[in-house]
Amino acid sequence: MSDDALFDFLHSEIVNYVLERNQSQNKDAKDEDLSNIEYIGFSTGYRMIERLTKEMPRFKDELETMKFICTDFWSAIYKKQIDNLRTNHQGVYVLQDNAFKFLTRLSSGKQYLEVAPRYVSFTCGIIRGSLANLNINCLVTAEVQNMPSCKFHIQVQRT
Amino acid sequence: MVIMSRSTSKFDTKKVNSELVTLTYGALVAQMVKDLENTDDVSKQLERLGYNMGIRLIEDFLAKTNTGRCFDLKDTADKIQTAFKMYLGVQPNVSNWSAAGDEFSFILDSNPLTDLVELPDDLKSLKYCNLICGAIRGALEMVQLDVQSWIVQDQLKGDQNTEIRVKFIRRLEDAMPAGEE
Amino acid sequence: MAVCVAIIGKDNSPKFFACLNPDEELSFQYKVLSSLDVVEEKLSAGNKAGSDLRELYLGMLYSLETHKIYGYVTNTKIKFIIIVDSTNMVLRDNEIRSMFRKIHSEYADIVSNPFYTPGEQICSKPFLNNIRNIMTGTV
Repeated sequence: MSDDALFDFLHSEIVNYVLERNQSQNKDAKDEDLSNIEYIGFSTGYRMIERLTKEMPRFKDELETMKFICTDFWSAIYKKQIDNLRTNHQGVYVLQDNAFKFLTRLSSGKQYLEVAPRYVSFTCGIIRGSLANLNINCLVTAEVQNMPSCKFHIQVQRT
Repeated sequence: MVIMSRSTSKFDTKKVNSELVTLTYGALVAQMVKDLENTDDVSKQLERLGYNMGIRLIEDFLAKTNTGRCFDLKDTADKIQTAFKMYLGVQPNVSNWSAAGDEFSFILDSNPLTDLVELPDDLKSLKYCNLICGAIRGALEMVQLDVQSWIVQDQLKGDQNTEIRVKFIRRLEDAMPAGEE
Repeated sequence: MAVCVAIIGKDNSPKFFACLNPDEELSFQYKVLSSLDVVEEKLSAGNKAGSDLRELYLGMLYSLETHKIYGYVTNTKIKFIIIVDSTNMVLRDNEIRSMFRKIHSEYADIVSNPFYTPGEQICSKPFLNNIRNIMTGTV
């Protein structure tokens, strides 16, 4: 495929499908349920990482895995790297993308902040799914304060 | 802050892109199968989704290829063939023209959307790549062509090729507003 | 040719098992299961020794009078085991390694099927055929 227009359009259709489906199921409109969008991302990430890590040497540790997500993995999917990775070295990682692909198309006005979660959910799922298959179980949430910048918070669950 | 050293991706971007679409689409279809009781409803939903994508894809296609008006249906078929190459990375053959010249088929030897898919027995009636039919219908509607499109042969069902049929219905007079059905 | 290929999941339970001679299946299952300890050992030793064991191919796990057992662990902690007859002199390290790569590739394809739930038994017939072809060296 020559470019990522197809992926972009497919992604918006996933968002539309899940929202319409919620509406037809009479789910409470105030608290949007994006879990199915996240799950589609999870499943995609889980399977994707199996393919991408086929030719790669074994990851040394958790930090090396996170760096891989920020660099090679992110560029493979979003054509750019994560701009900033922070960690407290205790299982919390914050990945900041200053121009997150699925937000760059929305206008940066305040009124769009409200719908921003719809466009980051799939990616939260992609991250969670990829890491889950790499045996790092975590919670992934996204924080959008200034469009189109987005911070993905990864909290590793140690049990 | 953690320093990240690599500057370029080590992966073949084209391949990854294609796999990403394939896997994302697969995850969506699996979700729909979970959501909807009836397999026919899933097929319909996929067609509708493809329609929505088609009306956006054609804008993208026209902008990128600088394509003008189609002379006739043969010309249209050729341009869709180019679009297949652009978006799915495969070039189908255009064949099986009807005597009246108002119907033809795209024959695909391989289909990135379905190459890694195995339909479970209870989903044998699922039209997995109905998305493509919908996309053709949606895209052509934007250039004032009302068509029907359906799957004739399907590699997922054990056929040698995947054959997608397109039938010209009529020319639409007024530009339709972009939107859902 | 390889006489047995096994795929072991993250939870150390077998997800797939193929052997050329069905009579030997039980004894091979036993060999595969006992080889998992060696795999764990190698992986944990790898942690201490740093980058020694970063290759997915682990080499020969152990050898018996009759058979040699080789291992490979993906980044996603899926284990592949290959058993070869000890009398087989054709299959050297490189051939085994490339066999594992092919199995890995097949496995990644199976995981990409949206109707396969990772962690389940792999029952796909085309997959079984492909693995058999890899075992007998027809691909």
